[in-house]
Amino acid sequence: MIRLFSHFQSSAGKKMVIALTGLGLVVFVVFHMLGNLQLFQGAHALNRYAAFLRDMPILLWTARIGLLCMAVFHIGLAVQLSVRNRRARPVGYLIHRYRQASIASRTMAISGMTLLVFLGFHLLHLTAGVIDPAFSDHLDAEGHRDVYGKVVHAFQNPFMVIIYLAGQVGLGLHLTHAISSSVQTMGFEHAGLSRLLKAFGPVIGLIVVLGNVAIVLAVFLRIVR
Amino acid sequence: MKFTLKIWRQEGPHEPGRFVTYEAHEVSPGMSFLEMLDGVNQRLLGKGEEPVAFEQDCREGICGSCSLVINGIPHGPDQGITTCQLYMRRFCDGADITIEPWRAKAFPILKDLVVDRRGLDRIMQAGGYISVNTGGAVDGNVLLIGKDQAEAAMDAASCIGCGACVAACKNASAMLFVAAKVSHMATLPQGRPERERRVSAMLEAMDREGFGSCSNQYECEAVCPKHISARFIANLNHEYLRAGIVESGRPSEPESPHAESS
Repeated sequence: MIRLFSHFQSSAGKKMVIALTGLGLVVFVVFHMLGNLQLFQGAHALNRYAAFLRDMPILLWTARIGLLCMAVFHIGLAVQLSVRNRRARPVGYLIHRYRQASIASRTMAISGMTLLVFLGFHLLHLTAGVIDPAFSDHLDAEGHRDVYGKVVHAFQNPFMVIIYLAGQVGLGLHLTHAISSSVQTMGFEHAGLSRLLKAFGPVIGLIVVLGNVAIVLAVFLRIVR
Repeated sequence: MKFTLKIWRQEGPHEPGRFVTYEAHEVSPGMSFLEMLDGVNQRLLGKGEEPVAFEQDCREGICGSCSLVINGIPHGPDQGITTCQLYMRRFCDGADITIEPWRAKAFPILKDLVVDRRGLDRIMQAGGYISVNTGGAVDGNVLLIGKDQAEAAMDAASCIGCGACVAACKNASAMLFVAAKVSHMATLPQGRPERERRVSAMLEAMDREGFGSCSNQYECEAVCPKHISARFIANLNHEYLRAGIVESGRPSEPESPHAESS
């Protein structure tokens, strides 16, 4: 076991930890998006879903601490490796031309930092209710917290819509490279499946972003009130 | 044909370098890139100046000596060839061409366009071999190896160790090189007994030499003169993960025979 641990001390091993924690976070954003789509079923469904999650504090906090740990490992090791990678080429090229690196793969650091800033904002905004305390203590007709009302209130504000859409651009870009890249880093490769594996990232990224954007725009365009 | 060349000149490993512009006259379209540089050097020698140092040997794309970044791309604009196989007809007459050495912390510049690539040799010393004596060539069909395996091993073994993958990678990572060597030997029965120790030792050596890690951009694959696929990097990661699991179940050994010779 100690040797397995020492394996993760190398750059290739750290990449594996980044990939695994990243995939864990991907699973979260997918379910987060799916859960939130219940907005389209109306206030009753969304508020009951929120109450359902809050009714299991042990599970909720285990999940939250797990996500936090994954994010800390993911970001910490990514920063560490990025610094090391920069040092691997102290003098750069006068001209450097990319041959096939995708835009998403070249902007991982920027999209990742965008995501981190957005995540902080999102948690302070909709989870903790610090940025906009309206509706935080509001209860709906059944006595559940009125998450629906809060979301609808938030996305009727054009500034919030812009911030959330920008966050989704970061998320989409990051996932486009991240998922297929993680599969490669975890050493999964198959000649017959290579196209499918390469399409994994962009497709999952697109689905998550479309689902999230649909929520924001549906409220903003007053399709959901 | 005429060209304006912007070439990196550096007197020695610790001297500061700079770009110097030279004119290349009377270049025939059929000349290789290195022959064009030979012409430039002839002219410099005639004028009593120091010729541009660049590495070359076989000039037929198999030795892996030539190592120029031409207009921002290692081995130049064509795919699947080394610098010596690049012909001047590939460029427009009168074009400006920028020539730089491989740039990486692990490849210190010795002079002008010549870099020290012994880092790759030290990675090989760490585990890129098999310890048992295999004797002479065996009779056909004594050691049965499936066609798929034989071809995969051959694809990986075609690596000539030129270091273009390191030069092209934004992280100056040698992952494609290590991947090719590890995959080559892990695919064949002769390489199997040492596969766990090999992959760990070679990746550790890669880190020690100061190469970066992989960002899965596959720029290495695009510039590789031997078209080595980035799927070998997935294979390397697989081997490494496998080694971590297999080795963790083994009793600790005294001294690794793969310890890097100093």
